[in-house]
Amino acid sequence: MDTRLFAADLLDMLPELTLFIAIIIISLLDLFWPKNASKKGIGVLTLIALIVSAGFLIYQRIHLDGVISLLNDSYLVYHYGILFKLIVLLGVSLIVMMSFGAIRDKDIPHIGEYYVLLMPAALGAMIMASSADIITLFIGLELLSISSYILVALRKHHTKSNEAAFKYIVLGSIASAFILYGMSFLYGMGGSTNLFQIGATLQSLESSFHPMIYVSFFLLLVGFGFKLAAAPFHTWAPEVYSAAPTPVVSFLAVISKAAMLIFMFMFLPVYFVPLDPVQNLTIYSDVVLTLHVVAAISMIVGNIVALMQKNVKRLLAFSSIANAGYFLVVLSTDRPGELVYYLVAYLLMTIGIFAVVTALENSAEHQDISIFSGLYFTAPVTAVMTVILLLSLAGIPLTMGFLGKFFILLGVIQVKTYWLAAIMIVSSVISFYYYFRIIRLMFMRSHSEHTTIKVPVTTMIVIAICVVATIFFAFFPQYMLSFIEWT
Amino acid sequence: MLNSYLLLSASLFCIGLYGALSKKNAVIVLLSIELMLNAANVNIIAFSKYGINPSLTGHVFSLFSMTVAAAEVAVGIAILIMLYRNRGISDVTKMDVLKK
Repeated sequence: MDTRLFAADLLDMLPELTLFIAIIIISLLDLFWPKNASKKGIGVLTLIALIVSAGFLIYQRIHLDGVISLLNDSYLVYHYGILFKLIVLLGVSLIVMMSFGAIRDKDIPHIGEYYVLLMPAALGAMIMASSADIITLFIGLELLSISSYILVALRKHHTKSNEAAFKYIVLGSIASAFILYGMSFLYGMGGSTNLFQIGATLQSLESSFHPMIYVSFFLLLVGFGFKLAAAPFHTWAPEVYSAAPTPVVSFLAVISKAAMLIFMFMFLPVYFVPLDPVQNLTIYSDVVLTLHVVAAISMIVGNIVALMQKNVKRLLAFSSIANAGYFLVVLSTDRPGELVYYLVAYLLMTIGIFAVVTALENSAEHQDISIFSGLYFTAPVTAVMTVILLLSLAGIPLTMGFLGKFFILLGVIQVKTYWLAAIMIVSSVISFYYYFRIIRLMFMRSHSEHTTIKVPVTTMIVIAICVVATIFFAFFPQYMLSFIEWT
Repeated sequence: MLNSYLLLSASLFCIGLYGALSKKNAVIVLLSIELMLNAANVNIIAFSKYGINPSLTGHVFSLFSMTVAAAEVAVGIAILIMLYRNRGISDVTKMDVLKK
């Protein structure tokens, strides 16, 4: 229990420090950037910073021996933390690459700031992945949230975007307040901000304090549900998704969600401890049941409401709400390996499909689902890749999405929650309808809207990476699973 | 002693939540959110003095959360000013272009 930080300990925080220094340097460079030069240079520098940070992480992973704990357990370098951080960095790098071709000067007046702001958001997610202390978790969460509020608001002259940003920040701050209030009860009962110590103290509490554990859990659940966009806390998602710039939307759909899952992954074990087995208290099963109910509502609402959507980004918003449900199911079964696998699958297919949407939306200048019509005849390669991504989202065999869902389903069946498994299967079948509607549109010649579609090279690379990885890890899941389990 | 502080913070939290969800003026909405965050701070401080396991960490926590709340509201006000410049409204009931 060393509460001091030595210079040598900074080496363990190298991936985060890299990003932190890069944020300062690149934001200053942005100020002195020549007026007539392309701001894409800033994006390239951001990409380099992200890759360097990921390089340090991989180095850390190779030389990892047990768990490194800094500052009295408030900062941990451990196996799953590194995996989560790598996922975050992979996602942000893909989003930066996608942005090169997708973000236009007339949309966002300050493109340099857009690239710079992605880094503190990623840093916040990384801090969340490696802290076991309430304070650091909260700071990481807010670093991520505040950066993403600004990212949503970056289209300054776009009234819809302004409004979405305001709604997002109001609802997001309310969710933060709920999380903070729930944390305060947890701190009050545990007498410490350290999650391990809180977990240990909760077990020895008198039973008169148990209602407070429930209070803290339900307050936290509201905040979690909002940030994860799980129904019934999802109403912000379709509005913000439809009005924000598409790369930012993919950031919200993937990185925010991943960070929130990490947060819950750290937090839920506190409630999973058995309380006094003699009196047969059931807080563990209550927590799991609540998560299952929220997951079931998300899957049903997400998939059914998506059927009626005409706006492509709204449709994907509801699909991400349904996916939040799947994630909650994995979290409740407490299987980190499956969580990481499905997270990577979700990241690849969502970023891939949003990359396609950016290209189509920019050439059609609207977001109606008809942007997909006749795509096969104007851009056959893109169309085929989109089909693969959509099949993965729908969960058709031979894709990562299928295997991920299959693992989740096996986990649910193992804990004998058959009703949840049934809801999962039925809602997945419903989701086929709206994914296949997009596929059908692509192969209909008569409605073709575009004469030619120019997909920028960088966007194409992102789509190709996502498609290849989706198929590769579906045929050879053992490579990823052994990397996940490798100690 | 602890109970009265907890009651105070619970009522502050509820007033804040009510204000954030029902007030028309956007500035009042942001103010109400601040009230919710401060309710949590009252809670933390009360626990760090009169809790079951009193400790100093609560004070540190509340300092952090105050800083974060300030940053959050600063961004909120900035977004509101941008909205006001573009559309000339600060009434949340008129922010309905996304529904159409």
